[in-house]
Amino acid sequence: MKRRTWILSALGATGALVVGWSVLPQRSRLGSPSTMPPTQGDIGLNGWIKISPQGQVILAMPRSEMGQGVHTALAMLVAEELEVALDRVQLEQAGHDKIYGNVAMFVASLPFHPLESEGKQPPTSMRVGEWMVGKVARELGISVTGGSSSIADAWDPLRLAAASARAQLLAAASKQWGVAVAQLSMADGVVRGPGQQAHFGVLAAAAAQSQPSAVAVKDPKDWKLLGQGLARTDIPSKTRGAAVYGLDVRLPGMLYAAAVMCPQIDGSLVSLDEAQAIAMPGVKKLVKLAAVDGSTPGFAVVAKSTWHARKAAAAVQVQWGPRAQGALNTADIAKALATALEQDSGFAFYEKGDAAAAEAAAGNTLQARYAAPYLAHATLEPMNCTARVAAGQVDVWVPTQVPGQTRAAAARVAGVDADQVRVHVTQLGGGFGRRLEVDFVAQAVAVAMACDGQPVQLAWSREEDMRHDFYRPMHVADLKASFDAQGKVQSLRIKSAGDAITPRWMARTLPALAGPVDMPDKTTAEGLFDLPYGVAHQHMAHVATTSGVPVGFWRSVGHSHNAFFSESFIDEIAVHTGQDPLAFRRSLLTQAPRYLAVLDLAAQKAEWGKPLPAGHAHGIALHKSFGSIVAQVAQVSMEGGQPRVHKVVCAVDCGTVVNPQTVAQQMEGAVVFGLTAALYGRIDIEDSVVQQTQLTDYRMLDLAQAPLVQTYIVPSREAPTGVGEPGVPPIAPAVANALFVLTKKRQRALPFVL
Amino acid sequence: MELHINGATVMVDAEPDMPLLWVLRDGLNMTGTKFGCGIAACGACTVHLDGQAVRSCVLPVAAAQGKKIRTIEALGSADKQHALQAAWIAEQVPQCGYCQSGMLMAAAALLERTPRPTDSDIDAAMTNLCRCGTYQRVRKAIHRAANNLQGSST
Repeated sequence: MKRRTWILSALGATGALVVGWSVLPQRSRLGSPSTMPPTQGDIGLNGWIKISPQGQVILAMPRSEMGQGVHTALAMLVAEELEVALDRVQLEQAGHDKIYGNVAMFVASLPFHPLESEGKQPPTSMRVGEWMVGKVARELGISVTGGSSSIADAWDPLRLAAASARAQLLAAASKQWGVAVAQLSMADGVVRGPGQQAHFGVLAAAAAQSQPSAVAVKDPKDWKLLGQGLARTDIPSKTRGAAVYGLDVRLPGMLYAAAVMCPQIDGSLVSLDEAQAIAMPGVKKLVKLAAVDGSTPGFAVVAKSTWHARKAAAAVQVQWGPRAQGALNTADIAKALATALEQDSGFAFYEKGDAAAAEAAAGNTLQARYAAPYLAHATLEPMNCTARVAAGQVDVWVPTQVPGQTRAAAARVAGVDADQVRVHVTQLGGGFGRRLEVDFVAQAVAVAMACDGQPVQLAWSREEDMRHDFYRPMHVADLKASFDAQGKVQSLRIKSAGDAITPRWMARTLPALAGPVDMPDKTTAEGLFDLPYGVAHQHMAHVATTSGVPVGFWRSVGHSHNAFFSESFIDEIAVHTGQDPLAFRRSLLTQAPRYLAVLDLAAQKAEWGKPLPAGHAHGIALHKSFGSIVAQVAQVSMEGGQPRVHKVVCAVDCGTVVNPQTVAQQMEGAVVFGLTAALYGRIDIEDSVVQQTQLTDYRMLDLAQAPLVQTYIVPSREAPTGVGEPGVPPIAPAVANALFVLTKKRQRALPFVL
Repeated sequence: MELHINGATVMVDAEPDMPLLWVLRDGLNMTGTKFGCGIAACGACTVHLDGQAVRSCVLPVAAAQGKKIRTIEALGSADKQHALQAAWIAEQVPQCGYCQSGMLMAAAALLERTPRPTDSDIDAAMTNLCRCGTYQRVRKAIHRAANNLQGSST
């Protein structure tokens, strides 16, 4: 199937399935006051904004805070348009209306090559594709915090909602005072006119009745808050231990449950003897856990504390059954991926020129095979969910990135309608994609159903969390370049193999939308098919496998390993052709000015090419993901036979910046996250059992090893793009490329072996 | 069992081998101290025992009897935050924040022992894990707090 044919037919099928092909009406995301019901005398102006009697602005918050600063950033968009200080914006968890769905994330799932739109009018197929997916996503209204998309998604609708509220407040004052809107001003939550003034709370009722004629968002030259490094509003409570994460939910009469799952992935519970465990102090009961929404079967012990529950769970005599479909072993999977790579042509995500002809005519070629392992998310707060099922009403308190899918999962398990489920989203002690899943929600609701209306907090141990993750899939890639007689690169061919995540995730969390066959999944090939380099002949394909290992979205997803493959291989080409890695990349970026600017900024700030201390080397990498371009220069040395990363200079173009302080934080965190994986990260599976169980054998970078990260932002007025993930992909290749300079050994597998 | 927590005497009903972490979190609903690993590897559960930073997930509550327990809830007070908390805000340290109670308690114990820590002192004392990678800001914030404390005491 041709790529474009596939995109259009896939979209057509999905769209027709979901909404009926002929009915795709224009829908605003402004919403109405009824989508955000009033409490305590608040007055709604649209689906996003209410005004309190005291004149506070109350914002419907559909996105989850997991450290990325989204609660501050979205509030900044509103504060800017409504001319209030940030502390006058209060957050209220958004409901489940479709206006809160994340449209940008779904549009970004289209596999378009970024240079198709770089600096020119996008082609028709791209515009049509984005339009159609946007329509479908708008109709579906799925609220997800993921894909580094929160700002990109909120940018237009949220600013418009706030600007609309501003226009309503001004219109109300204009009518009450009999003066033209042009004579009014707004500052600090107060509207002022000639000789009169009133705060928002006084004007809100009239504002709700007004119909402003023209609504426009502020001109960037008038911004007071956007672009400023404002302090995050969630930080003070996090310095007092007062922020409430999922595990911190406490309710009257609450019980605590410890989950134990079959150590074998997708194994079974054959039999158990609970007598001894139930007799232990503080223990209430044992509940068997079925396989649901991707979970492995097991049991939960309910007790008066998590410790009592865990102690008793360890005393349960249990017989586990093996995985029915056969044992999983990472060594076997690695071989199967290599075979798939060699025997299957895969799906071509990108073709340009004629790579085969170029290779046939080439003077010489360069080939390499790269590999990346399974990885666990290891959020510091293990999976948990607190649930109460009483009188047909289900309440769940949960750190989640998917409140709507959480509601649906709870409803499925409890056998009630979705509107009988209330989802209370807490702070997330890390997300990284793990909390895009609902397995632990389904378990908690099942346990709560056995607890006679009492709330119960189901908490996984670290060991269960490590052994029952949805892992970043193992991938293997073959990369090949060919050169003409002068040594100029003529073609680039990349083929990778590994499991697709999106179809598995859809089946687990959006079963109604999961198709009978897997569509090609952009996340498998992102970071391979979409390279910016001006190589005349390119062929980029992916072979989708089905290993059986539960796989999920891991911070920066396919980019996290594909950037390692592609940016290491680009470095190999530079070395092979005797060119400086920076100069070589620059020579191939003449048609990609935004990439070039980012690369140059990083190189300049890192003083690329200038002498370094003895034994130190620089490595560089450039990668675009989630709409943002990041270049990193890593300064590395070898200490006691191990790599030591001293400093990382990071340049980023993420379009218009809402909060540069948060951008810097995310780049720093991403470097540590990616470096942890590059140096230590691997999940091994033997006889279906994940071998790593703790933060000791699934090691984390610590403070003493953490590099200094300096972040530089390319000024831009383009639409804002992702920040939470794009800092992850370049760090592994940047460090690997420096290690090559130091050791003359090319690192072609993660984690590094020296 | 009688415990001295944050300046108050508290009676708790707990088996002697119950880790202090769970007495605090589930027995007393003091949830500022976090569970991360259960094997003293991550430090999210760090509290002070007679001024020393300890990992409460492996500390039997019986071992805390007769000693002064201090948790994140009493690092500062509502009207007067600890210099470290102020520094944490000034340097915008936390991301998800889950590890930060433990980080702050480890840093507070360090400053009480070593008022002007060097980078090496910080490396050695701050072995807490942060999945969000806030480490370089933790380092800066400790230096900032140390400077502020010295400034105010001279």
